[in-house]
Amino acid sequence: MKRKIKKIFGNIRVIILLICLLLAIVAIYPNPGREGVAIRNVIPNSSANLAGIQNPKPRTSPMKRELILAINNKVIRNMEDYVQAISSIKANRTLVIKTNKDVYRLIPKERVKIIELNKTEVRKVAETKEVNVTINGTLVVVNKTIIRTEEVPKKKKISLGVEDIGLRVYPAPKTNIRKGLDLQGGTRVLLQPEEKLTKEDIENLIAVMKERLNVYGLTDVIIREAGDLSGNQYVLIEIAGANEEEIRNLLAKQGKFEAKIGNETVFRGGRDITYVCRSADCSGIDPFSGCSYNGNQWFCRFRFVISLSPEAAKRQAELTKDLEVVTEGKEQYLSKKLLLFLDDKKVDELRIGAELKGKAETSIQISGPGLGVTKQEAAINALQNMKRLQTILITGSLPIKLKIVKTDSISPILGEEFVRNSLFIGILAILTVSFIIFLRYKRLKVSIPLVLVLVSEVIILLGFAALIGWNLDLASIAGIIISVGTGVDHNIIITDETLRGETRKIFNWKQRIKGAFFIIIGAYLTTTFAMIPLIFAGAGLLKGFAITTIAGISIGVLIGRPAYASIIEILLKD
Amino acid sequence: MVEDNSGVSFGEDKNKAKKEIKHYRTILNRVLRFYDVNYRRLLFIPFIMLFLAFIVIAIQIGKSGSFINKDVSLKGGVTIVVSHEGKADLLGLEKKLSSRFVGHDISVRAIKKAGKQTGIIVVADIDGTSKKELDSFISSLESFLGFKLDENQYSIEIMGSSLGASFFKETIIALLLAFLLMSVVVFIYFRTFVPSIAVILSAFSDIVVTLAIVDLLGMKLSTGGIAAFLMLIGYSVDTDMLLTTRLIKRKEGTVLDRTIGAFKTGMVMTITTIAAIIVALLFTKSDIVTQIMTIVLIGLCVDIVNTWIQNVGILRIYLERKNKMVE
Repeated sequence: MKRKIKKIFGNIRVIILLICLLLAIVAIYPNPGREGVAIRNVIPNSSANLAGIQNPKPRTSPMKRELILAINNKVIRNMEDYVQAISSIKANRTLVIKTNKDVYRLIPKERVKIIELNKTEVRKVAETKEVNVTINGTLVVVNKTIIRTEEVPKKKKISLGVEDIGLRVYPAPKTNIRKGLDLQGGTRVLLQPEEKLTKEDIENLIAVMKERLNVYGLTDVIIREAGDLSGNQYVLIEIAGANEEEIRNLLAKQGKFEAKIGNETVFRGGRDITYVCRSADCSGIDPFSGCSYNGNQWFCRFRFVISLSPEAAKRQAELTKDLEVVTEGKEQYLSKKLLLFLDDKKVDELRIGAELKGKAETSIQISGPGLGVTKQEAAINALQNMKRLQTILITGSLPIKLKIVKTDSISPILGEEFVRNSLFIGILAILTVSFIIFLRYKRLKVSIPLVLVLVSEVIILLGFAALIGWNLDLASIAGIIISVGTGVDHNIIITDETLRGETRKIFNWKQRIKGAFFIIIGAYLTTTFAMIPLIFAGAGLLKGFAITTIAGISIGVLIGRPAYASIIEILLKD
Repeated sequence: MVEDNSGVSFGEDKNKAKKEIKHYRTILNRVLRFYDVNYRRLLFIPFIMLFLAFIVIAIQIGKSGSFINKDVSLKGGVTIVVSHEGKADLLGLEKKLSSRFVGHDISVRAIKKAGKQTGIIVVADIDGTSKKELDSFISSLESFLGFKLDENQYSIEIMGSSLGASFFKETIIALLLAFLLMSVVVFIYFRTFVPSIAVILSAFSDIVVTLAIVDLLGMKLSTGGIAAFLMLIGYSVDTDMLLTTRLIKRKEGTVLDRTIGAFKTGMVMTITTIAAIIVALLFTKSDIVTQIMTIVLIGLCVDIVNTWIQNVGILRIYLERKNKMVE
C-alpha cells in the first residue's frame, strides 16, 4: 500500500492536479480569520478624501483592498465596530484612521443647518410704494415711503453634528473570490440605447457614465457593453454593495441640460460650464428662501454657483441686452426668466436680476426645488436633486437617449443568506453523492479518490474564477453544479470501465481507460458546444452560467479525470 | 449479472433468506427476459409519451398562445423579496394587492426555513420601468404590510416587458442552437446515421416530454428555467453516449449483457445526480434554484425511459439489421 501511495504521488497526472490545486489555493488566498473593514468607495471632497484616502481601483482583487484596522486607536474587527467608532466621532477633532497601508488624519467637518424658529422677531422695513393720492381733486401718483414693522421668523444656525466623513465600507473579504451582485447585494441596471450606436458611440457613452459615477463617488462599478443574438445593444451596469435607487436615475438620464432665455439657449451642461461649486459655502439648501409649506407639501430650494465659459457668458450678455427691467416688490428683474431644462423638461425658472442686463457675467447661481411630505424629506430631496444636477452639469450629456429595460436591486442581507445556503447545500450534496458512491462500489479505494478529485476540481474552478476576476453569481453556482454533476458521471464511467475490465480480463489497462475516455470526451464536447450559444444570448445575463460550466467541465476533463484514472489504475492494479 | 442468473441453481436451500434472494432473482430474471424479448413493443411507451407531450403542448399553445407559462422574467414585471420574520397574512395581502391593481397578475408567497416564515416574495406583472407605477406599488405593499421597507431588507427585480419578450426569444434561440450544435457533435463523433439520430431523438424527447410535464404542473418558467433545459441536454447526452458506445463500439458479451452493463453505470450516474438535486430542492430558498432543480429532476426521470427503452430499442433494431446485412 505504501508503495502504491508513493506511486500515486509520483504520477505525472496526479502531480499536475496537485500543482493546479496549489495554484488555485494561492489565487483564492483564503484567510478565514481576517478582521477589519474594507474600503469600497471614498466620496469626493469628503474629509476622508481630503485626508488622502484613495478610492480603490475597480479591478483591485478583493484581498488587496485597503482595510481599516483601527480608528482612534480602537481596533476595528467588523462592521459593528466600525459603525460604533464612526458614531462617536466629533466635528473638528482630528480622527486617526489606521489602515493596512497607511495612517490617515482626518478632520471631520461640522454639519450646520439654518432653521426657522417658532419665535418671530419684529423688524422695521422701509418700503417705497407708488400710491394714488388725490390732491386738490386730481389723482396723482406719488412715491411714498412707508415704514412698516414686520414679523419675521427668527433664524438660528444649529449644529447637526458631524458631516459624513465619506467612506463606504464592507466587511473585510476573506478570499479573493469575487461575489457577484446577487450574492453580495447591489444594483444592476440594464439600459438600451434608443437607436443603433457605433462602437465609438458606445465607448463614449460608457466613458461619460463612468465619469458620472466617479463624480458621484462610486468607483466600484462595472459598466460594459452587452449584446444578444438578435443584434440588440445594451449597456450593463453593476454597482456592488449599495441599494441605491438614486443611481438608476442618474445613469438613465441623458442629462441634456440647457438654460434658455425665451427660445434661445444661453448655455448647456458640460462644455459651457467651467466650474460647479459643490462645497457647503456656495451650494446647499438656499438659506434665503429656505423651505416652505403650501398646505399639503413641503417645498425646499437648493442653490449652487457655477462658472460659465467666457463664450457662454458673452451669449448671456447678448441675450439680456435688450430685455426690459421690471420692478417687482422691492427688487428689479429682467422681463424674461432664465429657464432651466433637463432632457427637454423644464425643471426650474429663475428671475434674472436687473444688474445682469447686458453683462458678461461668468458666475451664475443655479437653483431648483425638492418636494416632500415632511420638511426633512423635502430637504433631502432637494439636496439629492442638487447632487444629480451638479453631476450632470459637470459631465455633460450622454450622446444618446437610454431606456431602462431591467433593474435589479439585491439586498445585501439576502445575498449573504444565499451564500451560506448554497455552501450548506453544496457540502450536503457532496456528502450524499459520496455516500451513494460508497454504497455502489463498497470500496474506499474507489470512493475516496473519486470524491477527493471532485472536490479538487471545484477548488481549481474557484481559483480560476479568482484569477481572472470572474464574479461568481447565482448563474455561476448553477454552472458549478453542472460541472460537479458531470464530473461525478464521468468518474463513474471511468470506474465502471476499469472494474469491468478487471472482472473480464479482456482489455489491458490502457484500453480500459481509453474506452472510458471515448465516452467522456464525447459527452464533454456535446455539453460544451451546447453551452456556447448562451454566451452570446440575452444581453449576456446567462453568460456566467455558460462560461462557468464550460470552464468547470474543461478543468474536469483536462485535469481531474486523467488524475482520477491514474489513481484508480495504480490502486486496483495488482 | 446475467451470468449470475443464467445458471440459477441454488437447489434445495434451507436458508429462508437465500430463498428470498432466489425468488427476487427469478422475478428480476423474468423482467429482464421480457425486456430482452419485447424491446420492439416496449418502444411504444416512449413514442406514446412523446405523442401525448405534443398534444399537451398544443393545448397549451391554444390556451395561452405560447408553449410555456412565462413568469415575469420572460414577460416583464416586478419581483420583490422581503426578508421579514414572523407571520404575515399572505392570502390577504395577495387579495388586497390584486384589488388595488386590477387586471394585473399578482402572487404572494412565503420563504420558509425549517417551517418558519423568513420572508415574502411578491411577484407582479406591473410595468416596473415606470417609476410612478413602481412607487405606487411599493407604497401600497408597505401600507398593506404595515411597515416601511428598509433598503437593505428587500430585493427588487424589474424586467421591462419588451426586454422580457426579447429575452424569451433569445433563450429559445440559444436552446435551438445548442441542440443543433449538440447534434452536429454527435454525428461527427459516431459517424453512423441511426445511432446518432437515436441519441438526438432521445435528447429531443427528453426536452419535449419534460416541457409537457412542466406545462401540466402549471409552472411559470423564468430564464433560469429555460437554462435548465439546456442542462438537461448535457445530462441526457451523457447516458446516451455511454449506451451507444457500449452497444456499437464494444464486442464482448451479448447485446443484452452490454445493455445491462451500461444500465448499471448509467443508473448510478442518474441516481447520484437525482440525490444531489433532492438535497438542493429540500434546502434551497431560492426560487430560481428550485425551478432549475425541479425541471432537471423531471427531465432525468423522463430520460430513464428515453435512454433505456427508446434509445436501446432503436439501437437493437439497428444492430439486428446490420447483422443481417453482414450475413
